[in-house]
Amino acid sequence: MTATGSDTATITVDIDGQSVCVAPGTTLWQAAEALGIEIPGLCQSAALEPVGVCRLCVVDVGERTLAASCSRLCEDGQQVRTESADIRSYRRTLIALLLKDHPVPCDRERLLGDCQLERLAREYDVPAEVSSAALPDSRDQSSPVISVEHQACILCDRCIRACNDLQSNNVIGRSGKGHATTIAFDLNQPMGDSTCVSCGECVSACPTGALVPRPIAGSILPADQTTATDTVCPFCGVGCAITVHASDNQILYTEGRDSPVNAGRLCVKGRYGWDYAMHPDRLTRPLIRRSEFYPKQPLSRAVQSSTPGRHRPGGPVDYDEVLPAFREASWEEALNVIAERLTGIREQHGGGALAGFGSAKCSNEEAYLFQKVVRAGFGTNNVDHCTRLCHASSVAALMETIGSGAVTNVFADVSRADVALVTGSNAVANHPVAATFFKQATKSKTQLILVDVRRNELADFATEFAQIRPGTDVAFYNALMHVMISEDLVDSDFIAARTSGYADLRALVLRGYAPESVADICGVTPDQIRRIARLIGTAASTIVFWGMGISQHTTGTDNARCLISLCLLTGNVGRPGTGLHPLRGQNNVQGASDAGLIPMVYPDYQSVADADTRARFEQAWQTTLDPQPGLTVVEIMAAALEGSIRGMYILGENPFISDPNSNKVRRALAALEFLVVQDIFLTETAEFADVILPASSYFEKDGTFTNTDRRVQLGRRVLQSPGDAREDWQILCEIGRRMGVDMPYETVSQVFDEFVGLSDNYRGLSYDNLGPTGKLWPCPDPETQDGTRILFGDRFPTTDGRGAFVACEFQPADELPDDSYPLILNTGRLLEHWHTGTMTRRSSVLHQLAPRAFAALHPQDLERFGCVSGDLIRVSSRRGQIELEAQSDTSIRPGSVFIPFHFREAAANVLTSDALDPYGKIPEFKFCAVAIQKLTPVEPPIADGQPSADDQPSVER
Amino acid sequence: MQLLRELSDLQHQHGYLSETTLKQLAQRRRLPLYRLEGLVSFYPQFRRTPPPRVTVRVCRDVTCRMAGCQSGIERLRAALASDSDVEIEPVSCLGRCDHAPALTVNDVPLAPRTLNSGEPLLDDIRRGTDGLADSPPAGRRSWICNPYETEEAWYTTLAGCLSDGDLPGRCIERLQASGLRGMGGAGFPTGRKWDLVRAQPSETKYVICNADESEPGTFKDRVILQELPFLVVEGLLLAGLTVGAESGIVYIRHEYDRERASLEAAIEQARRRGILGADAAGSGRTFDIEVFVSPGGYILGEETAMLEALEDRRGEPRNKPPYPGTCGLYGQPTLINNVETLALATAIIHHGAAWWNAQGRDGFCGLKFVSVSGDVNQPGVHEIPMGLPIDELIERAGGLRGGQRVAAILPGGASSNFLTAEQLQTPLDFESVREAGSMLGTGAVIVIGDQHNLYDLATNLVRFFRNESCGKCVPCRLGTQHAVELLDQVGTGQAPVAALDELNLLGDTLEQTSICGLGQVALNPILTMLQRFPQQRPAASGSESETTS
Repeated sequence: MTATGSDTATITVDIDGQSVCVAPGTTLWQAAEALGIEIPGLCQSAALEPVGVCRLCVVDVGERTLAASCSRLCEDGQQVRTESADIRSYRRTLIALLLKDHPVPCDRERLLGDCQLERLAREYDVPAEVSSAALPDSRDQSSPVISVEHQACILCDRCIRACNDLQSNNVIGRSGKGHATTIAFDLNQPMGDSTCVSCGECVSACPTGALVPRPIAGSILPADQTTATDTVCPFCGVGCAITVHASDNQILYTEGRDSPVNAGRLCVKGRYGWDYAMHPDRLTRPLIRRSEFYPKQPLSRAVQSSTPGRHRPGGPVDYDEVLPAFREASWEEALNVIAERLTGIREQHGGGALAGFGSAKCSNEEAYLFQKVVRAGFGTNNVDHCTRLCHASSVAALMETIGSGAVTNVFADVSRADVALVTGSNAVANHPVAATFFKQATKSKTQLILVDVRRNELADFATEFAQIRPGTDVAFYNALMHVMISEDLVDSDFIAARTSGYADLRALVLRGYAPESVADICGVTPDQIRRIARLIGTAASTIVFWGMGISQHTTGTDNARCLISLCLLTGNVGRPGTGLHPLRGQNNVQGASDAGLIPMVYPDYQSVADADTRARFEQAWQTTLDPQPGLTVVEIMAAALEGSIRGMYILGENPFISDPNSNKVRRALAALEFLVVQDIFLTETAEFADVILPASSYFEKDGTFTNTDRRVQLGRRVLQSPGDAREDWQILCEIGRRMGVDMPYETVSQVFDEFVGLSDNYRGLSYDNLGPTGKLWPCPDPETQDGTRILFGDRFPTTDGRGAFVACEFQPADELPDDSYPLILNTGRLLEHWHTGTMTRRSSVLHQLAPRAFAALHPQDLERFGCVSGDLIRVSSRRGQIELEAQSDTSIRPGSVFIPFHFREAAANVLTSDALDPYGKIPEFKFCAVAIQKLTPVEPPIADGQPSADDQPSVER
Repeated sequence: MQLLRELSDLQHQHGYLSETTLKQLAQRRRLPLYRLEGLVSFYPQFRRTPPPRVTVRVCRDVTCRMAGCQSGIERLRAALASDSDVEIEPVSCLGRCDHAPALTVNDVPLAPRTLNSGEPLLDDIRRGTDGLADSPPAGRRSWICNPYETEEAWYTTLAGCLSDGDLPGRCIERLQASGLRGMGGAGFPTGRKWDLVRAQPSETKYVICNADESEPGTFKDRVILQELPFLVVEGLLLAGLTVGAESGIVYIRHEYDRERASLEAAIEQARRRGILGADAAGSGRTFDIEVFVSPGGYILGEETAMLEALEDRRGEPRNKPPYPGTCGLYGQPTLINNVETLALATAIIHHGAAWWNAQGRDGFCGLKFVSVSGDVNQPGVHEIPMGLPIDELIERAGGLRGGQRVAAILPGGASSNFLTAEQLQTPLDFESVREAGSMLGTGAVIVIGDQHNLYDLATNLVRFFRNESCGKCVPCRLGTQHAVELLDQVGTGQAPVAALDELNLLGDTLEQTSICGLGQVALNPILTMLQRFPQQRPAASGSESETTS
């Protein structure tokens, strides 16, 4: 007897003479599978709820008619036969009916060799009737990534369930009735005209040629003709497990892989956005700036001026404008120049005159080596990376209050939460696969609360959506806590046992934050504040997710402190379905921070100011280290402008586009004595470089990456690097060695081992035990365990073991709108693009899906400024101006403008303010004052290189 | 219910559902577009393009085909060829088989006039709805099952049960003792069903009256709704109080607008009398009834398809088990009874099982409403004693018209097997008809005279099921279509008669693997026709066959 399910098994069924004991709720199909009995089926798929429509899985249960085993539940004492001559002939009849108008071979069989219908037809010896060659081409090719062929569709509903149940994108359904039924997108539009977000889950679910991938690079080959590599998606912090299929040093396609992270799901970037790695723009030789291009100036027109003008098309850096300023060099020459120049500055001006930006797109090993080179080689702690621009304030608040900057629970635990609060996060665009789990959870028990200045798709799944005014988060959350405390919806036991500082918080929020006093500040009703407070206050478990809408403010740390207080107040840390989860942006922003790309701390958040710690690292690295904490990203740029930072090493970051106030960044980068940029493409930042090093793309190296859940996963090499491009860890070793740093590594895994040896959180992890789906840190026994999902069940890693309430008063944003700049600018990302666009604008599909910069405004505001959707407008702030297309968007709060920051030709960061949060040193990307003006087609663009200033507004009003 | 109602309202308001209308609705109700597409394209009542000024819908199904709808439609098309604002649409059974060929003009049924009513019809059609006076309802006849002589006496059965103190016990006991079986086609014992739903522990339960009879030849519920709506209301109320439901729903086909009005008048009157509402009939319990008008389709009479429709989804039958009695509307225990069942239940609970058992003939028990259509002089609804032989029923219906002789009988509507002329003595009773190789089903007796081509009529029946298949499962969606293609090919001589042998395995496959009864029975009529009337196979008759519509 075989047992499936668990100790609750109470049902025994007999299938084909074998007895099996199963848990209630087990289907006959599952019970048969446990016995190793294979039943055919086309609509059945383990990840999907059964629908029982293809009827191929019918079995005899002794009733008047046969039963579909995929959807029929086992009953105690049932006698089941899965095969008989009759059953076989019925299945043959069904296959013949399906094959009657199914083209053979269909596109799936032709491209991938795995049409499940055609395979069944062969197994059941049913001849094909319709040759695909004889059919006219009726494919719907309106989607750039998916080819739709209704002729091959068998209406198994797998795509429908994949789209609506798994991804909750809600695009595909059945249209029509009876034999005229088809699958359809939205109101039966061509797929490319529908609201499809091109996640490709439907293609992955389709058993036939109805939905197949369209080739992106090279041609699509059956899996047995490709080299398949299990790795991880290179884009966001979710860290989806993928399998990459390649051939001839070319990626052909990717597939989602089963993992605790993504359960096989992917988004458009992971499934279709990888061809950047094979783009002809890839850097293949080291480049040295020609002497005639000094003093340094930006080289491309888009970088020269913040206002590109309408005549310039969008897209990445124009190589023709930039490459003439450089000459190719050998690695030896380039590395020697770098070492010589950086060492020269160090010797003349001290290590403090040098700085480095590492990258959250690189691996833990590369991050570790980078900070080691800067600390041990440059002799300074001036090392930072883009976490400064995303969650520095969140980490500052978390470290201060609960002693750890990482998430306390994994995002998938949302399914166990009674309430999920998502705030300041457009997860649907920025953490798309995590968002699918949020949406899915709302279909069972989880009530979703969305608090955001913009309405995103999660609002459609939310019990409450509070569209608060930008920059009023502290007031809003203080008001929630006010209600909770006044109505006694707090967890007093938790407060008493696990926290400190409650009295101050209580006094502060009760004093000034009654819903009635806050409602006008936040632009929501007192009733809604009360409803949300009660929802969280009465729920058994609440999990909180936040994004850059919380962190990228001058009050970012206060915002995060409030969310932490909310969880401490209600005892929502350390249990299933509870926790604090700042959704990490980059694929390795967690790991890069863990590995020490932070100016104040060594790897594992160990303070550089602590003498014992420093001694430990000095011993490990065989050197002496600077006891002064270093400067942060924006501070480094300011110091470069002042002249106190003279030399920089920038690896895989593009601050010209990603940092606030581009006009200032331009001057700062131009002012550097020596800049080395290591990247896979010529970035805007590289235009200011003295030496450019051709690096390896994600797909060209091995390394570990730590996702938003703290899951350490192995990324594996798929491709050989083009030309002379090298793996980043090897380049780092070469530079380090030349600057006197001990770099004793033969393989990249040895780098990981050294890092792990200096990190308590990563203790025990190694390449050998990470396994196919990685391990969560901390992992007490990596040989047998997946790692720790939920942290801080008993105590917090603070000195007194308690979580600290830090009470915060509401403070307005740094630059409020006024008569000259009446609108609030909010910047962010799009589903299809990644940060500064260097990768995604070179991914053919992603670029095609979202080719243009735009500014989204509420239709009321468009009308107020005399514009209509599609008009070219100029958006100006006190720091500069850009020109781009206006788009009408009701998800925007009136009085605000949203501009994605990916587009260099209309770079949002020309406008943004570099005002910083005092604790996290994060700039206020989410709030500054702007004006808009409609441009008439005949008006010439403003003169190049003339940033506007306070006293000379260039927008005529 | 809400969403389908809103779609119906929008359709009434605008005449059709434009893309703009649907997008606005989706935004307003935060619904994905695919859901609206799924509904609007599934239910025949909805249209996506502006309607013509006049839409004439003519039934294309078996009884009306026997009455000449095919040539009638051609005549009508020719006569109205120059009227570009008149659209003629052949549709599935309109439930007016007693006035065949049946037609509606802008959804108003023209019965008792038929497609064969001659010239004046054209004027009415051209005038459209405005000029059409709805036909007057037939006067109320006297029915054996109606225990009430006067309107004042209505609902006294309920009052009696309430004063008795154990309403559920009395109802279930009487129903079980009577052996009443469901009159909607499946024949499940009614008392057992009520008891089963009553035994469910849920706090929320529903009772639903299935008033969606749509099978060709079936129109008895229409007459009950028109003439005895109070018995249906009382039956629902008794059922609701028995099983512990507060909410009753009548799911009625949209072609029965007159009957809906009659029913709603009865409901409104009951509310005014305090029979429905809070403290219904002084029971101390809340019970009310709402009427939901089906957006169309025979499949919605399948009870789980109906539940899907009531939950605002495509009316596709569910995989069973679970059955509605344990997991029905919104997952709650739900009692679903047919119109006639509820009316008769009221009578049985009023009179007791002994009265019921005395109503039958020759040892059979009870009464049955039958719809008689086809080649009889007076088609219509008859309330017969159970066990009445078929030939006596034909006599009651005025005998065969046009001097024909009986060639075949469909005793239970489109899904029942053909009986031969030799079987006319078969008593009309569930068991007896089953033993004769067919089924009583809804009691839709279609009498077929000897001038008809049975192959053609059987093909038409398969075509009906093909047209009405929801398309959810493979065997029904593709099997009915394949059968129709094959039958047409053989009928027109494009395929050899031997090709029909394939239908046996196809029929078995449909019966064994389809999700619901529609697919399971879809080929029964053609298979029994071929078996019992071998001389009517195409080779023998040289049949003409209509093209696929």
